[in-house]
Formats: sequence, C-alpha cells, structure tokens
Amino acid sequence: MAKILIPTALRQFTEQKDSVEVNGGTVADALNQLTAQYPNIKKNLFNDQGKLRSFVNVYVNDEDIRYLNKDATALEGSETISIVPSIAGGAAGVAEPEAAALTNEEIARYSRHLIVPEVGMEGQLKLKQAKVIMIGAGGLGAPLGLYLAAAGVGRIGIVDFDVVDASNLQRQVIHGTRDLGRKKLDSAADSMRDINPNVQIDKFDTSLSSENALEILKDYDIVVDGTDNFPTRYLVNDACVLLKKPNVYGSIFRFEGQATVFAYEDGPCYRCLYPEPPPPGLVPSCAEGGVLGILPGMIGLVQATETVKLILGVGEPLKGRLLLYDALGMRFRELKLRRDRHCPVCGDHPSVTKLIDYQEFCGIRPAPPQAVQTEGVIDVQEVKRKLDRGDDFLLIDVREPHEYQIARIPGAKLIPLGELPKRLNELNPEADIVAHCRSGARSQKAVDLMKQSGFKHVRNMTGGILAWSDKVDPSVPKY
Amino acid sequence: MIEIESKPWHTMVLHAERTYPNECCGAMLGRILSEKKLVTEAIPLENAYAGEKGARYELHPKDLMEADKAARSRGLDLIGIFHSHPDCDAYFSQTDLQNSCPWYSFVVLSIQNGKFAHAKSFLPDADQTQADSEELKWQKS
Repeated sequence: MAKILIPTALRQFTEQKDSVEVNGGTVADALNQLTAQYPNIKKNLFNDQGKLRSFVNVYVNDEDIRYLNKDATALEGSETISIVPSIAGGAAGVAEPEAAALTNEEIARYSRHLIVPEVGMEGQLKLKQAKVIMIGAGGLGAPLGLYLAAAGVGRIGIVDFDVVDASNLQRQVIHGTRDLGRKKLDSAADSMRDINPNVQIDKFDTSLSSENALEILKDYDIVVDGTDNFPTRYLVNDACVLLKKPNVYGSIFRFEGQATVFAYEDGPCYRCLYPEPPPPGLVPSCAEGGVLGILPGMIGLVQATETVKLILGVGEPLKGRLLLYDALGMRFRELKLRRDRHCPVCGDHPSVTKLIDYQEFCGIRPAPPQAVQTEGVIDVQEVKRKLDRGDDFLLIDVREPHEYQIARIPGAKLIPLGELPKRLNELNPEADIVAHCRSGARSQKAVDLMKQSGFKHVRNMTGGILAWSDKVDPSVPKY
Repeated sequence: MIEIESKPWHTMVLHAERTYPNECCGAMLGRILSEKKLVTEAIPLENAYAGEKGARYELHPKDLMEADKAARSRGLDLIGIFHSHPDCDAYFSQTDLQNSCPWYSFVVLSIQNGKFAHAKSFLPDADQTQADSEELKWQKS
C-alpha cells in the first residue's frame, strides 16, 4: 500500500484523514483510487479537462513526478505520495507566464530537441522562458522568425512598419503571395503562430527610433538586428550597449553576407568595427543593389543559431569574430574583432551615454519641405505626349544594363549614371533632354550633373519607369 | 478569520524586515478551530525566485513539503503562506493570484522603508481568478 498525504485544506473531503492508503501500479492509478474513494476531492486536484490543476505538484517520496515518469511513475507499494502546491507571487503587477514545465503537446513538439543532451528539458525550458526581439521582418527576419518560433522561443517581439510588396517574396519566405499588401507584422505573426501557437508574439508597428528604442528593447534578453540601413544599425547597437543586451547582427549584399554577436560580455560592438558610418548613398541597400534571394536565409539562420546558442548557453558564441560568407565562392571566412577601448559607446570612457540622432550621425538630413518642383521636372504623361507627337528631344535612361533588360521605355537611350560623366560629349548641351531611371532618384543626380556641365534643357522624369508603368503603360513590368 | 499568535507574528515581521528590499516568504502552522484559524508557528523559507527578488517570490515545493512534514510531526496543520511586498501595499497582486492555491490563507505584509507597515490576508479561488479578503488579527507581545 502506498500512502497519499492529504493537505490540511483537503481533509474535509477525506473524512478528516491526514493520509489515505491506496494500491496501484502507477501514480495515476493511486490518484484515481483516491478520487474514487473521496469524489469531492477531485475538483480540488483536477480541472474540468481532467488534468492536474496548474498549481498541483505530486511528489513520490522526495521526487517531483515531473522529473520521474509523470503520472505513469511506477509504485512499488511502500511510497509516500505528497500533494504539494506550487506557490509564488509578488508585488509585481503583471505575472510573467510561468514556464516551470512543458506541456505534453510541447514535449511531443520539441522531442528532437529534448533528446539532444545540450538542449534537453532544461534547455527547452530556457528557450520557453527566453524573450527575443527582432528588428525587421524582412529578408533576415523571415528565417529568424520562422526558426525561433519553431525552436520554442517563448516570447518574440517584432519591430516593423512595412507592408508586404511583390519584390519581397523572392527572399522573405515568412510572407506569401496571399499576404501582398498586408502589414509584415501581421503576416509574419500568422506564419509563426501557424508553426508554433505556443509562442507569444509582441508586435511593434513602428520604426525603431531614439525615442522608443530603449523602451521597446528593455523587456527582451536578446536583440537580433535584421535592418538594412545604417541609422537603425547604429541605433540598435548603441541601445544594446546601453541596455547591456547582446546584439545578434547580420547584413547582406548581393552574394555576400556578414554576421557576428555584438555587445556580448566583454566583446566588441558595431562601433568598434565601424566607428563612422559610410557616406550616404555609398553602400547600396537591397532595393538599390539587389540580393540573391537565398542569401538572407543563410545569414538569418546564422543569426538564429547564435540566438539559440546564447539562450542555451552552449558552444562558442560568435563574439569577437566577424563571419564573412561569399555565396559565389561558397566560402566562409572569419575576421577577429576586438573591443576598442576608445570606442565612443562601449569603450572605457564612453562619450555616447544616451541615444543620439542617428539620421544626422549618418549624414542623412531630413528632406526640406519641398516646394512643388516644376523647374527641371516632367511627368510621365507629358513624356508620353512628347513621344507620340514626335517632338525633337532625347530620352536617356540612366539605369544599369541589366535593369534595361527587365523593363524599358521604347526610344530611350541607355547611359548608366556611372558612365554619364565620360559620355557627356555624346550629347548636345543645347538639346531638349529628359532623363529617367527606376524611381527618379538616380535620374535627378544625372540632371544635376548635366546642368552643372552646361546643359540647358534637361529635365527629370518624376517617378521613373515605375510611374511609367502605373500611369502610361501597365505592360511594362515593375521591379 | 485568521489569528496569529505573538511569537510567530514576530518571526514573520522580522523575516520580512530583514529580507527587505527583497520579498520574503514562509509558511504558517497552527490549528483550525471552529471559529478561527490560529497560527502558532511561522517558518521563514527561502525566496526561490530565480530572477530579481524585489517584487517576486517563489516557494520551493520541497520546502513546502518539509513545512507540511514539520506540521504533521508536531500535530499541527500547514494553514497559510506569508510573503512581503517591499515598499508596496499589502494587496493580492495579479502575480500573487496567478501563482496561488486555494488551500491556504495568504498573508501579505507591507514593508515600507524597511519597516512593517500593515498586513492583510487573502483566500484565492481554485481557478486563480479572484481572492476574497479574510479577517486578520495578530497578537502583540
């Protein structure tokens, strides 16, 4: 006979007995006998679904059955079974979700983690209790979000303000064709919840700024940077250093990627590597330079791996090492990084002790409120009319040859912006000239250059070939 | 109604003040009489919460099991749990409620600037959705 000790409060249901003798091969059998004998005790121990209530722990002798064989734990017949509630609390107003144990559903789901000694039950609980925030739900954020959710990271924050565009689908695999036009936050959260409904997803529908960064990031253990611009990169870096949180960094360009872990323990930060931002416009973004769609998958998964390693506390973190990946050569290389003692943020005597204006730091001035520009610009409909009338003018396309292959306006002469200074002599400075590119940005530079070189009648086609497709000829593809 | 004798009350207040600015916790043993619960012994226990203990506590289930054993060996009952709220009123917080158990009285001691300020007792329900307040008395020595 095994003996079940009855807590004081429950003795009213056991005829005031402080212990009840039961037979039974397992803990489940023993408890069933107890509730069969004293039916009124049942609702105190089990919920409506017949599961042990969340606060009820069962001990066989001195062992919690969660760490034995749960309610299938075998009994010889001489054991003492204790019913011990788990009790906690505190003045803190908001309760953290308790992650003291995995549910059976979770155990089945994470089985292939649980049987890896480096993860196991302890590691899986660490993942469940972990709070990770991803900055951006784009190329890097897509694999990150999917795999962190699948791995069972308990709480994942996402900061993003963008909507899903057709040009994202070549690499941002967390979004699908049906999500076009939806907020990336909603689309990403749906995909992650579909993979793992146990994950709590916090959505921040905003762009990270000096005003909100510390407040948003402070509740998380690890920050994963999936941004594509320098002001946000410096902002994330500085915020992580100030908050003493590791910054799992990745960046991509065409066929090459980089990844490392900044601001972790005594390791370097992004500013130790790049004290100053590059001049604006020098380093192209994915939208400007293009990227192999698979590349962010590769780098995002390096980031996901490092994030999970940091949570588990296993292996050697990618700290003080910049991993360089070259997809064309299919090679990984490593550069050693050291913390710079003179670093303005993480150095011995930091001069940056709060967040600054990162747009200004990166030399990006907010565009002055533009008076509607009529000088030097022409809209797509007017260009179309000029072409139809057969006006004597020259339309030049300042994009790259591979862009010209994707979409073109008939009759346009291709002179890539980079070649324009050398090829100005091909053009007549007195002629009526219209320049265009994809969106109107590069062609404005071309117009400025030509005006400085004495061209008298040059205009920029506003909105570029994208506007042409929208307003003149929808058969021209947008890219 | 729950009444705490002067000796255990002194133990509880001392434990709460010494643990300040962290939260303390412990078990209350005694007897359930027809008209009241009488606490005759208080056992200070370790706050086993893994994180910052300023506004959280957790009882180690094994400690609670030991407290229950101690009660049985002395012919007493484990009848309540106490914990402190440093620089915070003695209310039953959402955290308290969601990690509670309906089998015990929960006494909360408010400690302000390191000194005992006031205390209340609560009886949470089985679904951890609400807690009734329970009349609390303590005997001054």
